[in-house]
Order: sequence, then structure tokens, then C-alpha cells
Amino acid sequence: MDKKYGVYICTGCGIGEALDIDALCEVPKEEGLPVKTHPILCSKEGVEMLKADIGEGTNTLVLCACSRRVNFDVFRFEGCIVDRVNLREGVVWSHPRSEFPALTEEEKEDEDNFDRVQMMAEDYIKMGMARVEKVALPEPYKLDNFSNRILVIGGGITGMTAALEASAAGYEVTIVEKEDHLGGQVLNWRAQLPVGPDYDELISPIAEEKIKAVEADPKITVKTGTVVARLAGQPGDFTVTFKKPGEKIEFDVPYPLPEEMKYDENGKELDAEKQHELYLEYNKGRVDILTIDPNGEKFGAVVLAAGWRPADIEGEQYAHLGFGKIPDVVTNAQFEKIAKDGKILRPSDGKEAKSVVFVQSPGKDEDDRDFEYAGSVTSMVALKQAKYVRQDYSDGKAYVFYQHMRTPGLSEYFYKSIQQDPGIFLTKGQVVSVSGNGDGLVVEATNTLLGEKVKVKADMVVLAAGMVPVTADDPVVNMAYRQGPAFRDIDLFDGYVDSNFICFPYETQRTGIYAAGAVRRAMTIEECLEDATGAALKAIQCLESANRGVSVHPRSGDMTFPDFFFQRCTQCKRCTVECPFGALDDDERGTPKPNPTRCRRCGTCMGACPERIIGFADYNIDSIGSMVKAVGVPSEDDYTEPPLRILGLVCENDAYPALDMAALNKLSYSADVRLIPVRCLGSVNVIWIKDALSQGMDGVFLLGCKHGDDYQCHFVKGSELAEIRMKKIGDALSSLALEEERVAMFQVAIDEYDKIPQIINEFVDSIEELGPNPFKGF
Amino acid sequence: MADSYLVEPDIGFINEVVKLGGQDVKKCFQCATCAVACPISPDTKPFPRKEMLATSWGLKDRLIGNGDIWLCHNCGDCSTLCPRGAKPGDVISALRAYAVSEYAKPKALAKAVNDPKKLPILAAIPAVIFLVVGLITGLLNFSPGGDEIVHAHFFSTWLVDLIMLPTAAFAVAVFANGLKNFIADMHANALLEGKTDKQKIDAGGFIQALIKVIPTIFKHNRFNECGENKARGTAHMMVFYGFLGLFIVTNTFFIVLYVFKIHGPYSQLNPVKWLANVAGVSLVIGSLLLMKERASKKDQVSTYKDWFLLWLALGLGLTGLLAETSRLAGMAGFSYFIYFVHLMLVWSLFAYTPFSKLAHLVYRTVAMAYQEYSGRK
Repeated sequence: MDKKYGVYICTGCGIGEALDIDALCEVPKEEGLPVKTHPILCSKEGVEMLKADIGEGTNTLVLCACSRRVNFDVFRFEGCIVDRVNLREGVVWSHPRSEFPALTEEEKEDEDNFDRVQMMAEDYIKMGMARVEKVALPEPYKLDNFSNRILVIGGGITGMTAALEASAAGYEVTIVEKEDHLGGQVLNWRAQLPVGPDYDELISPIAEEKIKAVEADPKITVKTGTVVARLAGQPGDFTVTFKKPGEKIEFDVPYPLPEEMKYDENGKELDAEKQHELYLEYNKGRVDILTIDPNGEKFGAVVLAAGWRPADIEGEQYAHLGFGKIPDVVTNAQFEKIAKDGKILRPSDGKEAKSVVFVQSPGKDEDDRDFEYAGSVTSMVALKQAKYVRQDYSDGKAYVFYQHMRTPGLSEYFYKSIQQDPGIFLTKGQVVSVSGNGDGLVVEATNTLLGEKVKVKADMVVLAAGMVPVTADDPVVNMAYRQGPAFRDIDLFDGYVDSNFICFPYETQRTGIYAAGAVRRAMTIEECLEDATGAALKAIQCLESANRGVSVHPRSGDMTFPDFFFQRCTQCKRCTVECPFGALDDDERGTPKPNPTRCRRCGTCMGACPERIIGFADYNIDSIGSMVKAVGVPSEDDYTEPPLRILGLVCENDAYPALDMAALNKLSYSADVRLIPVRCLGSVNVIWIKDALSQGMDGVFLLGCKHGDDYQCHFVKGSELAEIRMKKIGDALSSLALEEERVAMFQVAIDEYDKIPQIINEFVDSIEELGPNPFKGF
Repeated sequence: MADSYLVEPDIGFINEVVKLGGQDVKKCFQCATCAVACPISPDTKPFPRKEMLATSWGLKDRLIGNGDIWLCHNCGDCSTLCPRGAKPGDVISALRAYAVSEYAKPKALAKAVNDPKKLPILAAIPAVIFLVVGLITGLLNFSPGGDEIVHAHFFSTWLVDLIMLPTAAFAVAVFANGLKNFIADMHANALLEGKTDKQKIDAGGFIQALIKVIPTIFKHNRFNECGENKARGTAHMMVFYGFLGLFIVTNTFFIVLYVFKIHGPYSQLNPVKWLANVAGVSLVIGSLLLMKERASKKDQVSTYKDWFLLWLALGLGLTGLLAETSRLAGMAGFSYFIYFVHLMLVWSLFAYTPFSKLAHLVYRTVAMAYQEYSGRK
């Protein structure tokens, strides 16, 4: 594309008053680029002006106005490269003239004086112009084969609902269920929690009607007694091999070499070749991940609704509850089975169990933790099962001892209705012991609402075993991905497969695979129904993005994708290993094989690549590097006391909007920093930092999302990887005789906008203490 | 820590309390708003939260002898503020009714007093007694002559007192027996819950405490602390003083009759008669006001036990005044009939008080005295 440039400066919203617009116009003019100003660029007249120029051939526009986060729809022009230079939030609102006064006419006469804010605006315009020169219009990545069928793994309530919802939206669906019938866990229950108003009564399990609906649906294919042996390929073009549970076939997915096998007997790590040899041996009889099963079925997206199993209750910590020793102490799952089979009878002697104690928390010690994987669902199951006791015996008594009684949302009505049963007794309390007492049991508890140590006689005791997601035990999806067949790092979430529960529900760390139901968190049937619908919608979104060659999420609609210059690849595998989404596979030699529809366009690979051969059409090593180089770095040759120049690479997801918010709230920060938004701190390549320092900038900071167990990174690993890379850069800096402190990384949450000015100013102060970069002026 | 308390919920008890007006007790979720809202609950071990919990757990043994349920004056502040609509005020009220029927023996009579279906039988009992005793003794004269209407000509005062005195004695005996158990239970409960330091009850001290609380009761101090039901205080006071006045009048004329041998009817100019008329009017107006109060409070539970007492009070006042006015008006037949009804009601008052809501007169007084005596903490 032949670029025809145009620079446009808006003088509205305070820009015209704060800045010397004529001087700003000189910046593009010096480069020979046409420049126009407009009092309100986003107005109808302003946009008309832009459109008129576009009509005359201008296709590369540098719009110097407000933040890119506002008016993005107004300034979107088909077939044009647009850069938004943030003069409003980034310069004039965050650097008010009351704090950063303009030069007086008198001051202007002395050339040793300078106006920091004007310099800032000029730099940003230069950076914008540098960027548009280096970027290209993206073209979508189109798959050769595209399937818009949806695979649902799991034939329980969640899986069936997801299938029905997707089918209702017009998509073909296949359900795989490892049991030989549909229905899942619900089939084992006597009754289930309410799924609608008035939310106060138990209802019959709703499995039957779902099974009927699924079987009657011509768009849904059901494969029972089947599991997924391997899922290869990428969203829009998955190839799935099915098998019977327990069967061994050549398309079983290969497993990565276990960590302990990577070392020899002396604890020394084996070399790559030896490891590969062991890997092949370890996976003997299984074909490589890159070999596609010719008989595999094609799917475009997957809903993972594989469900849960009851948690085990074992170990010394539960010894005081008598489970395993006293036959009448059972788990809630066992109790449900007893209730399902008929009247509630004691397992030990078949006598009527008229007094049942439901223990929600193991108690004993001072802490108030619940059983593992227990939560609101186990709370409500205890209430449900207490009702069974009352259904069976008019003089029955059911006690619930809990540390936490969780009945979220409208389930409160259910709690209320159970609470009002005269034979159901609820109390917070710490269960101290369960012991046999002649014919029955005695449960002793302390710190109860009754205010003292109490005991109750019981015929049975029921322990609240939690719901373990099946993904905690098994990969289930068996992805033929180089990073392994399972979801990565989900031990952080106790085996639940969600990648960011709050911000991105349903999204797993594998694009195109959407979790729903109890595999995502413990849920009631009511919640599963909603969840299944959400996940089905996500799968549809994936199909309808992959088919157009755009990113699904979180950069929905992004048409770019990582482009590799393979001739210079050294097969270091860093991109394959570091990609948070397992988007890259590699061949035997280690050359990465991109799977663009698996990719979320975060650029972590670009940040990782030491050869700098990975980039996007509109975001690459050169485009950002050129922006860095466009920053003017004044030295003592220019001024007696030249200002500092500090580069800030700012995550565009949370940190950049937080900066806009700070500006909106009239919070100011040093005018000596130059900020560049990046897709994710994971995409920051250290070369930018080195470039900045070697051209004389005094410091560089990274501003991104929180990482760690409660990470807020939109790309899961980006800020964590950046932190690791920054630690390594420290060594390189000290070899250049530069202080490590010149490079720093800060974490902010989006709501911490009020802290950002302080973070920036403190960093600037610390650099000032270090003194100017010795390379300045060279 | 002491031995654990064996919790044995009594579902039958819960159902009974529910029937007596505590139907919302199980809605309680132990937030303790009630205990905070209550203007007369003590700062330590406050009620009614612990009573709500014990009731929803069916812990009868912790409630029947609990003096705190009598400290409550049912002002309703707790019920108004309860976020769950558990109506602690009405629950405590039901507990009091249950406690009364628990302490008042014979139990069958206590049951009957709280059962609307037994009302006709209860009403028939005094009529039958009067007629039978009257006919046997010949003290009943169905054709009382004379120019003046003298009720005693119809019912001999001998007949009235022959029946009323043993009935009153019966009531006193029932109360005495009930109180004996009640005080022992209340003390045991206070010791268990740590509400007192006193190990034994000494009679002298207890009576001193009783004397000390009398002015509080007379002045209705506790009622005035109430927020929600404040208006009820005045009406209750009218009924209270109505009864008190009539009690004084009855005793005075009793002495006048048997000691000074002066027969009624007494002159309207007699100051005792003034008191009688004022007290009668006060009783009627007070009970009407209380009825209006109750009928207008839709969010408060009103059960048979409440209406029983109110109608009895109103009936007593009205029949008394009507009997008097009709006598003065010379409506002989009507007057004699009304007087008969009046006597029946008076008998009912005596006989049924230990089993009805009116027993609070005794239990609450004793409980307040005990609170004063035990130095509740």
C-alpha cells in the first residue's frame, strides 16, 4: 500500500489553550507531511474534513486529539491506518498549565528555557508519525478448512443444555459422554434444588426432559460410552479422535515427559536430544501431535462440560468424625444414594434414621475451614438432604452444623423454607467429635449459636464432601498441543479450568474450548443451566470469529496475527514454551508451528523472541522501536540543564485506561515521561529497553497488571513473564555500567488510577537521584 | 468447659408455641436485632434472641422457667425491626401462654382455657354451679319481689360468697402451686445461664424486692419505655386500675356486709360507690381501647388467648355497669339477668385467671421481683 499521510490536530477540549498549536504544526511540516487543525475534530464537520481528505487519497492518518480509548468508532476509517496521538488525556489534562506553566514571552527569548508540556506533545506527535510509517493494514488469516460444528464433552445437565442452546442457534452439535447413557450426576439424586420461582421447594430431577429434548433434536448427535482420545488442530479446524473409555489407540495423545524423567541419577538435567529420546519412548505407540488422524471428526469449537466427582474424605484431619470406622457416618453423596433408593435407613442395621446430623465443616481445631471443594452447593445439598429426613419421618430431626452457610442469590428463599421446617435445626458450630453410643451416634460440637458445648444424638452423620472438577484428575480434552494435553497451571484454581474467573468466564487457557458447569466451579443445576448457555454462546462467538479470520477474545475482532520470519529462527522454543495459550506447536527440529486461531494476539511470543522475528501487521518490534527512537532526548548540548527522558511501556488493558482516568480526575505526573501503550507487558521485547537506554533515555518503566495467584493479566502470564525478563535485563545493564534501578516494573489494578501519578513521580525522582544517563548525547 | 449440653429438640413444643401465636419463630436467623432493639432488655444476656433460638430448637426446658420471658412487656419493637419477620414479641408472648398452662394445674383446665372449642363448656360451668348450688341450698329466688330491685334478693349474697370464696381460694391455690415451681425453675435457669450470683432464695429479701417493684408496676414504667406499642400503655393502665379499683370496692363492701351488717344496694353518694363507677367505666374504656389497638395492628399476631382476656374484661365492666344502671332504671327482669351474667363472668375471672393470659399479673410481678432480687446480670 502506498501511504499518503495526513496529520490532524484537534484544538478542542483544552488542547488549543494549553499548547502552542503553530509550533506543533511545525513538527509534521518539518517531515514534509501535510497538517490540518480543527476546533472539534470529533464533530460532524471534523470527521467530514477527514473523510474529504480520505476521498482524495489520504490513507494514513495521525489524529492528534483524545485518547484512543474514546471516540474509537468515530475515527475508524475503512482501509486506512489510523494512529491516535493522545494530546488530551496524555498531555494537557494530566499536565495542567497551573502546575506546568507555559513560557512567558520573556522566557522564550532565552533559548536555554524549555516548555516541558509542549515538548511532550511534540514528542507524541513524532512518535505517532514514526509508528504509522512502520505498520501495515492487517489482512485476516483464513483457515483452509473450516468446520462450524460444536463438540460438547459431557452429557450431564450442563452438556445437554449447551448442546440444546447451540442447536437452537442453528449449529450442529455432538455430545460425547463417557457413561453409556446421558444424564450425568443428576440421575443419582432423589430430588434437586429449585431452578425457578418461588425457589422454595425441592423438585424432581430435570434430567429426563433434557434427555428427551436432546434425543429429539436432529442437529444433535450423541456418542455415549465415548471419550476424546485426542483433539488436534485449532479453533475452526479441530480434528477429534474418539475412543471407548480405557481403550489404548495410536491416536491417544502423547504426554509431555514427566519432570522427574528429565534428570539423570545425579540430578543433572539431560540434554535436549536425550530428553526427546526418552519422550518418544515414554509415548511409544502414540503418534506425534502434528500427525492428524485421517479418520478424525472435524469440529470448530468445544464446550467442556465434563462435570465433577465427590471429593474424598480421608486422612488424619478427619479422624474425629469417625468416617470409615463408623458405618453410619457417610458422605452426602452416599446419603443421596440411600435417599434415592427409598426411605432413609441406617447402613449399619437398616433401622430408620430419624435423627441425622449434617456436618458442613470438619471442625475440631480452631479454624473454620470447610471440607475440600465444599461451598454454596454443599450448603444447599445439606439443606436439601435435611428435607429428605423430614419427608420420610414426621417426627424426624435433621441438624446442620456449619461454619459457613452459603445460599447465594435467590437460593435464600430455599434456605428460608428449609429453616422454617420445625424439625430442621441449623447452627454454626465446630464439630468436635462423632462417637458411637450404644445404639446410635453422638455428635459433639462447640462454639455453636446455642452458646456452649452441645451434643446431639444421631442415627446417621452426613459429611459435606465437595465437588471436585474432573479436570483435577484428568486432562479430559487431551489436546494434541506441544504444551501438553491438559490445561496448564490450573492447580492454581484447584483444578478448575477457568483462566480468569471474574473477567473472562467460560474462557479456558485454550482458545476455542469453553468450560461450563461444575468443571468451572461448584454449581447448582440452576447455575449450570445458565452456565451452559453462556459457554455455548462463547463457542459460537469463537466460530463466528475464526471464520472471518479475527481474534475471538479478549481482543475481539483483531485482524492481526503473529507473523514469523522463519529464515532467522534459531529453534530456541521460547515462543512455544512461553505462549500462555499453547498456540504454538513445534516440529521435530523445534521450529514453531503457529496456529493462528488458537492465538489471542497478546504478543507474548514477540516479547520472548531473542531474534525478533515475530510481529504483527500493526504492532511489531520495529513499530514500537521507531516510536522509542522518535522521542527527543535533549542533552547538555541543547540545554544547560536538560530535562530527563523516561520511557514508560504501559499495558493497554488496565494501566492505560487507569492513566486516562487519572487525567480525567485532574491528577498530574511528571512531564518528562513518554508513554507507549503495549498489548500486554508480555509483548515487551527487551530490545526496546536497550534502545531507549542506548539513545540516552534515563530510565524505563513497565506498568502492567498484577500477577501472582490473583493475577489480573488479561493474557494470564504476560506481566509475570515481563517481571522475569526485567530481572534478567538487570545483568545486561550492569555490564553496560548502568544501574539496574534504571529499569523498573510496577503493577496496578484498573481502579488504582489515583496511585499511578505517585508511582510515576517516585520513579522519576529515583532516576533524578541516579543522575542522567551517561550515554546521553553520544 | 462444663459438660456438654445434650440438645433434645421437642418438636411437639415447637408446634404448640406455633399454635399459641409463635408461628414465625423458625424464620429467625439469629441476627440479634431484637435483643438490640428491645428497650427493656438488660445489657447482658439480653432477650429475646436467646429465647428465639431456644424456641426454634424446641428447648422447652430452657424456656418455661426462664424469667426473661416475663420481663418482656410485648411492646413489639423487636417484631417491627426484625429483618426476617420472625416476630419475637409474639413468640415470647406465646411462650408465656405456654408457661402459664405448664404451671397451672390441673392441666386439662389449662388446655380448655386456651382452646376456643371449649369456650361453651367453660361458660356453662359457673351457670350450672350457681343453679345447682342455688337450688340445693334454696338460696336462689326466681321471683324476687319488693319495690326496690335488690340483686341479693335474686342471688343471695350467701350463695354468691358460698361459691365465690372457694373459687377464689382455688385460684390462689393454683397460683401458689404454680409459683412454687416457677420460682424454683426460674432460679435454676438463672443459675444455669449465669444471670445471678445468689445460690439460694431467701424469702425476706425476695419480699423486699417484691415491694420495691410494685411502684414500677403501678406507674407502668416499663410500658413507657416501649416504642412501637406506646399507646397501649394508657389503655393497659385503665384496665389495670379498673380491676384494682373494683378489687378494693368488692373487699370494702364485703367487710361492710359481713362486719357492719349493712346490706346493699348502697347509695350512689357513697364514695366507695364513686370508686366503683369510675373503676367500672375505666375498665370498659380501657379494654375497648386495647381491643381497638389489637385489631388495628395487622402485623402483630392476635390469638384466642388475647381476645379471651379482652372480652372477659370488657364483659365484666359492661355487665357490672348495665346491672347497676338497669337496676336504677327499674328494669327488673333485665337487671336480674345481666346480674346473673355478671356473676358468671366474675366467677370465670376467679376460676380461669391462673390458666389464662391474666395470670401474667402474678407471674410477671414475681419475675420482676426475682430480677430485682437476683441482681440479674
